[in-house]
Amino acid sequence: MKHLKSFNKKAKMLDQTTSPDQVEEVVAMQTIVGCTSTNDPGWEVDPFGGLGSLCQPMESDLYGCADACWWPAQVPDTMSNYPDWSQDVSKANEDWRKLDGIFPEEQK
Amino acid sequence: MNNNKSKHALLSVSALALMGTMLTPAASWAKDGETVIQENCLSCHTRTGNPETPFSRISEQRKTPEGWQMTLQRMQHWNGLALSPEDTQAVIKYLSDTQGLAPSETAPFRYVLEQQPNVVEDADPAYAEMCARCHSNARFGLQRRTENEWKELVNTHMAIHPTTELHALARDRRWYDIALNETAPKLATDYAFNDAAWKQWQKMAKPALEGSWSVAGFLPGKGDYSAILKAVKTSADKYSVTMSGHYSDGSELHGSGSANVFSGYEWRAGLTVDGVSMRQVLAASADGSSLTGRMYQSAHDEIGGELKAVSGNAIVGLSPAALKQGETSQVTIFGGYLKGNVNLGPGVKVVKVLSRDADRVVVEAKASAAATVGMRDVAVGATKAKAQLAVYDKVAAVQVFPPQSMARIGGNGGKIPKMQSTYRAVAFSAGADGQPGTDDDMRLGYMPASWSLKPQNEVAAEDRDVEFAGTIDSQGIFTPGDTGLNPQRKMSTNNVGMLKVVASVRDGDNTVEGESDLLVAVPSYIKRAIQ
Repeated sequence: MKHLKSFNKKAKMLDQTTSPDQVEEVVAMQTIVGCTSTNDPGWEVDPFGGLGSLCQPMESDLYGCADACWWPAQVPDTMSNYPDWSQDVSKANEDWRKLDGIFPEEQK
Repeated sequence: MNNNKSKHALLSVSALALMGTMLTPAASWAKDGETVIQENCLSCHTRTGNPETPFSRISEQRKTPEGWQMTLQRMQHWNGLALSPEDTQAVIKYLSDTQGLAPSETAPFRYVLEQQPNVVEDADPAYAEMCARCHSNARFGLQRRTENEWKELVNTHMAIHPTTELHALARDRRWYDIALNETAPKLATDYAFNDAAWKQWQKMAKPALEGSWSVAGFLPGKGDYSAILKAVKTSADKYSVTMSGHYSDGSELHGSGSANVFSGYEWRAGLTVDGVSMRQVLAASADGSSLTGRMYQSAHDEIGGELKAVSGNAIVGLSPAALKQGETSQVTIFGGYLKGNVNLGPGVKVVKVLSRDADRVVVEAKASAAATVGMRDVAVGATKAKAQLAVYDKVAAVQVFPPQSMARIGGNGGKIPKMQSTYRAVAFSAGADGQPGTDDDMRLGYMPASWSLKPQNEVAAEDRDVEFAGTIDSQGIFTPGDTGLNPQRKMSTNNVGMLKVVASVRDGDNTVEGESDLLVAVPSYIKRAIQ
């Protein structure tokens, strides 16, 4: 790393981190029930406990989460459980209002 | 019906799913539940021939009513199980009663059954890096399985969520091997199927819950309340329920509904309280003397508060719970059928009794300027309660509860409602050492506060989170911003943010502030009975 200079804010935050293991451990211990502590990059918070390293706005990369089953307790996974969840919404960043949640009574 | 109303209706149905139906003949529930399993589950599950564990897989797990409800929902969603609502209720009831959890087994995790928001868990690192990465600690802590069943759960995850192995905290190690050969055996030890606690609880006589209860509780936006809760048994483990009482501002509280009891102590009630659909998740004490837990809005489970009910005549709380030296104030004693003289302890004079109702006594009380700082026992006639009223010199510190919290953006014409968060200010006096934040501080209870927001850090200030992420009202209820892309923000970022919630409590001519952290996050698209 000594020949590389951090360029943007995210890179500087990474530089200041002592080690990825420590960051992940701290966040995992401090997460509020209902949040995921899978912080790569994170759904509610990023590995640094902030918002700067999240995919934002989330609608722009929502299917990158859903299709890959990345946060299946927060985002419906279209890989196994809910293949039709986003079927009628090809662009989440435009038609996000059409996306519904998964609630027990809707499981058929 | 617009989308949000539709969503609220669905949530209401979901929240009431455990209520059961009055049409179900409860006395035959146990038998019916077993029959339903035999008739509907054995095309996949098999008879083992062992009367101790008659059905494959099913008989090697124990769960809460909500846990069994989720199991049935999963069977419906994954495997095409089709059950009527009545049969679903019968199976949940049967399995909760015969393969449930003992009170001591649910005690560490009641917050998740109560849908209590803003809980920060202290998970064992071995679980934090495995199960609690996606779920609450309570999700697995409220299950009991044989080791083989815990291993089956690992394999189910692999089949349904294969990318689990590729996540952070998984991809750099032998995730599957660790999950199967280290985590599953640990779970089988920590959360053992054959724990003596359940066998002992099954043998015990179960608490009788019919009768009148003295209730005290809190609801955001309404404040403290007291009530008489009457439970009338309609059939085995089923009750009709009424609540009648007052909020601390004097306005009346009225509610009615019904309750089911699972596993001998798990009280699940649905009531309409002053026109709002509410739900109670309470645990009965083994001796049947108390019910404790939470009551919350069916459509917004984050809007709710603690509820304590004591059987019969009792003092269950005070509002306010503290008097300043030299102060004259109205004090409401929460409790059922309180008769006789009111005694608030040495140095505190009851100037006059302002009103008496079945659920409370309201008095005007004066703490003398020379009253000793400390806690007072309270008595009304022969009914007594220890350490109810604090007499204090000054407010030295204020803490905002909850200390860590989260709200989620929503609404804005979309289908996911906003998830609010609510706050209360807890005041403390400094104690003998004069220093707040030390062991001898005296808790003065909840106090009225004025509420404000500020950025949590420099980034939040630069990104103007306070402007976009939401607002807090005079009752300490935070409403997050609209969901969706916001072109007014950098990169059209959502209205997420990191804020501090600030409470300002007036104490004479002074103002004492406390603050807590608030994360305003994106929505969760998934809702489970156990997160």
